[in-house]
Amino acid sequence: MIKLTNIEKVYRTSSIETLALNTINLHVAAGEFLSIMGPSGCGKSTLMNLMGLLDTPSNGTVEIAGRVVTQYRDKELAQLRNQQIGFIFQSFHLINDLSVLDNVEIPLLYRKGDPAGASRRVLAKEALEKVGLSNRMSHFPGQLSGGQKQRVAIARAIVGNPAIVLADEPTGNLDSVMGNEIMNILQQLNTDGSTIVMVTHDEAMARKTHRLVRLFDGSMVGDSVLRNERVVE
Amino acid sequence: MLRHLFRLIWNKKRAHTLLIVEIWASFMVLFGLATLIVVNVSKYREPLGFTYANVWAVQLHNNQDTTDVGSKLQRILQRVRTYPAVESASSMGDNFPFSAYQNGSSITHKKHDVQADYYTTDDNFANTLGIAVPTGRWYRSADSVGKYRPVVINEQTRKELFAAENPLGKIISDQYKVVGVIDNFKAKGEFMANRPALFELAKANNTWTNTMLVRVKPGTDAAFEATMVKAIASQLPGWGFEVDYLTDSRKNQHNLVLVPIIIASVVCGFLLINVALGLFGVLNLSITRRRSEIGLRRAIGATGSGVSTQFVGETWVLATFAMLIGLLLAVQFPLLNVFDLQAGVYLTAMGIAALIIYLIVTLCALFPSRQAALIQPATALHEE
Repeated sequence: MIKLTNIEKVYRTSSIETLALNTINLHVAAGEFLSIMGPSGCGKSTLMNLMGLLDTPSNGTVEIAGRVVTQYRDKELAQLRNQQIGFIFQSFHLINDLSVLDNVEIPLLYRKGDPAGASRRVLAKEALEKVGLSNRMSHFPGQLSGGQKQRVAIARAIVGNPAIVLADEPTGNLDSVMGNEIMNILQQLNTDGSTIVMVTHDEAMARKTHRLVRLFDGSMVGDSVLRNERVVE
Repeated sequence: MLRHLFRLIWNKKRAHTLLIVEIWASFMVLFGLATLIVVNVSKYREPLGFTYANVWAVQLHNNQDTTDVGSKLQRILQRVRTYPAVESASSMGDNFPFSAYQNGSSITHKKHDVQADYYTTDDNFANTLGIAVPTGRWYRSADSVGKYRPVVINEQTRKELFAAENPLGKIISDQYKVVGVIDNFKAKGEFMANRPALFELAKANNTWTNTMLVRVKPGTDAAFEATMVKAIASQLPGWGFEVDYLTDSRKNQHNLVLVPIIIASVVCGFLLINVALGLFGVLNLSITRRRSEIGLRRAIGATGSGVSTQFVGETWVLATFAMLIGLLLAVQFPLLNVFDLQAGVYLTAMGIAALIIYLIVTLCALFPSRQAALIQPATALHEE
């Protein structure tokens, strides 16, 4: 589903050159639940950005669902992100001036052939039901707890039925109870067929995934299969 | 997407209150100015009804001389007509074309009253000012012998006083008989409304038709003016004279209308610049504050140009909210017939004001929205 080949990412300023990722080769199969761990500054977020097509590598190729996207233009990348990838962030990134339902609806607004308003509403409600928040649809993010906000963010990530969900420290801002709830939802999504890549600092959370990749100083230093339950490919 | 933007702006209406008030105030000021301009442009497009090139207005002031004033005025007029440089000359009261004087009164026909401008002239007035008389004829000196005094009315008087009736031969205010109808007569210039007017034949030896309108041949210079004034002065010792060229008087009348419009436009321009700067600042600040939202939107499928369009769209929505309030007020003007203007004038002014507001907000939003489009999602998403 995601294939990274010889990926390098270098950040350059006029005087400094920083190698953020060094020769990363990673293949995430469809239906896999992969976690990425490593110390701060090791390149986890950079790797997520590359997999999420939010950034371009300095070298190497990125393949999403069999398509090499390295040469894609902004419009094509935006479409691919919209259709294939759902994002979950540590700080939720909800729009405070929109209701929960409106927040969840946003990815559908950017979909090619934009579904009609009524069907957008239906899809958004379904996504909220999946994360158990159908009773908070007209609330605003400011009226929700951290765990609820993250569930809204998950609903937003899955509303367009993407094949891949990228979660950047989704439990990082939550207590252990809330974190476990979120983890359960992600596991359920994976069971339902989504490919999930999750960056985490929490070893216990990582142990709940199928596979654990460890990064250190921009290089992959470990890749271990934890469970092998739901890999489609 | 439009509904989404409306909802977003509606939910942030408190934060945008000041901006909405600013845009609303600008819209109202623009609406007022546009109304003024539209009214005057539509007046300007209506024909004047007479020609003024090479026409001089010679005002004669008898001062202390009260002896046989009417005869003296007639003699001077006859004398002026004899100059080869003079094509035509006519006498009338002080309210000659483009002068500051105005004379009006109510006229009646079949108990229907109309407020009309009055002009007392001699029989050569239409000839001197090149006024066409499409219906009937201009009055002659011989008409003064009848029971009723001969008058010529303009088309506006005909419409308001007679509607579909033929006005020729009809009696007005029990003392005037209509002998002719002219089209327009806008004595105060192109910016004057085409008001009802009535032209009455001056009585012989009238002492107050002391203005001579003199149409001279093209190319006649100031030397002739000096000769003519000298000749008049020699015949009327102790009298005062004032010669106005109608072309100059017309410019003065135009200035009376144009100067306030120009001043209002400059004030309005400054106001709009202030609003534009404010809007520009608010949008710039908004983009800085909303970097994470921009990053998120890019991540979930918005293109750079899509983000840019969204910001321009939000400003349009904001302007639309403000203008809806403004339109509610503006629409009262045609509904309540304020200032007795046609509804079309107000509607055109609303359209112009709305167009200018949309143009300004678009220009203000362009640069900040382009900045927003350049924000890298990967960076913006990790700033919080």
